[in-house]
Amino acid sequence: MFAFRSDLPLRRDTASRFVLWLVMVLVFMASLAVTVNSYVNVLLADWNQSVSGTLTVQIPVTAAGDKASAAAVAKVIDVLKRHPAVAKAEAVPRAKVIELLKPWLGEGDAVADLPLPALIDVQLGSKGADAVAAVTASIKTAAPDAVIDDHRVWLERVMGLAEGFSVLALTIMVLVTSALGLTIVFATRASLAEFAQVIEVLHVVGAKDGYVAGQFARRALAQGLLGGAAGLLLYAPALALVAWLASRVDPEVLPHTTLPAAHWLALAGMPFAAGILAMLTAHITVRRSLSQKV
Amino acid sequence: MSLLRKKDESYAGDTVNMTGVGLRYDGGPDILNDLSLTIPQRSFHFLTGPSGAGKTSLLSLMYLANRPTRGSLSLFGEDVTAAKRNRLAAIRRRLGVVFQDFRLLDHMTAFDNVALPLRIAGIGEAVVQHNVGELLNWVGLEDYKAAYPPALSGGQQQRVAIARAVVNRPKLILADEPTGNVDDAIAMRLMQLFVELHKLGASVIIATHNEPLVARFPYPRLHLDKGILSVLPTTSGQIAVGL
Repeated sequence: MFAFRSDLPLRRDTASRFVLWLVMVLVFMASLAVTVNSYVNVLLADWNQSVSGTLTVQIPVTAAGDKASAAAVAKVIDVLKRHPAVAKAEAVPRAKVIELLKPWLGEGDAVADLPLPALIDVQLGSKGADAVAAVTASIKTAAPDAVIDDHRVWLERVMGLAEGFSVLALTIMVLVTSALGLTIVFATRASLAEFAQVIEVLHVVGAKDGYVAGQFARRALAQGLLGGAAGLLLYAPALALVAWLASRVDPEVLPHTTLPAAHWLALAGMPFAAGILAMLTAHITVRRSLSQKV
Repeated sequence: MSLLRKKDESYAGDTVNMTGVGLRYDGGPDILNDLSLTIPQRSFHFLTGPSGAGKTSLLSLMYLANRPTRGSLSLFGEDVTAAKRNRLAAIRRRLGVVFQDFRLLDHMTAFDNVALPLRIAGIGEAVVQHNVGELLNWVGLEDYKAAYPPALSGGQQQRVAIARAVVNRPKLILADEPTGNVDDAIAMRLMQLFVELHKLGASVIIATHNEPLVARFPYPRLHLDKGILSVLPTTSGQIAVGL
């Protein structure tokens, strides 16, 4: 019955509502950072998974005409199929190439008549740089003007982007955490001043510093949990809206992915993290402040 | 009052022992200077003296709101001059303090104010309900248990403050003008409560300006004037206390 009894007149406390509101905003921002980071990483991991260990060989359109080019393709495929490092090699049908370009070029006769380079998809048996080098050399011998893309530069840049987002998300987390901590420190100090007389009475009737600190810590915990829950409540519709907008984008441009369980766990943990951080901060603030007294 | 007879924590030595105590606030002049004082166990003293003589400061040393600037102070046989804060809290639980301005918590009912020392000490709620209820009946506030201090008269607030000070069955009771806001009948009833606690083993110090009240009880008085403390014998002489 008295588990939630408080000796401090907290309902009169003016700083309380501000702290609640601020925790809500901070949890909203932290959640956004977590989601963006998760989404970018999942997306890029998908791309990474689908392109690593593959090569794309381009046989340019030559003045010699389609026949020469078809012969070159057949020769390269023949070489590749006999190469020990290659698991699979096949020409990409022209229709597929047009299909791939559809989001950018649209469809119709104009596209069908375009001189498009022939493409060969190569799947390597092993992903090492040696295999890539060996296969590249074989292709160059068979078709000197072939353009070989092992996606490495592309991949490195994509991974760089992912790391950039991770650093950004981490920065936001550090900022949000310190903002919450500082807010609790100042709000607690304000409350200590506001309730100085109450605290003096508590001391006179035998309260230890830990008891007084506990009163503040309990309130901070409640504020963190409540504000955190409010922040998530605010965030849920925002996330749902963005997810719906993303689902409307063509999957060729933006592959549809699902966010990992860790992301949802991190979101669910936000109010608890905010509550525990607020609780510890308040407790330490009160203990330090009281220990400087008589 | 059965509730007053349940606890007996004995201790060795005097209730209060001051040697060469001085007190000053942050660079100000000496409020108290070279004070030595012994309050034996189970004693009863009045503390008198002109306003501004330092009575309240002397009491504040004893309820550990201030530490002596010089000299040493022992309570219940334990040197508190350099004791740790948590140790002070434990010692304060054996003290009952009645402030001149009551210092009730306005956001709590009269009942909760009186219950505060027990709850802080972790006493079970059944005991709290029983003891606080009985004590409030005794001080004549049975109809005001759920009232908040601002709704009470000065005299009623004073009785709540006294009830809060004695509810934990303290070994030392320090009261600053505890009868300043009540009529004579209630003053005598409150004094009877202090006398009762004294007979049960508590030491009592009552700071007061009320000379007639002092004259009615056969207890010695500590007189503080210009920073000098003297112990005067009782002025009540032959008067038997008919309580």
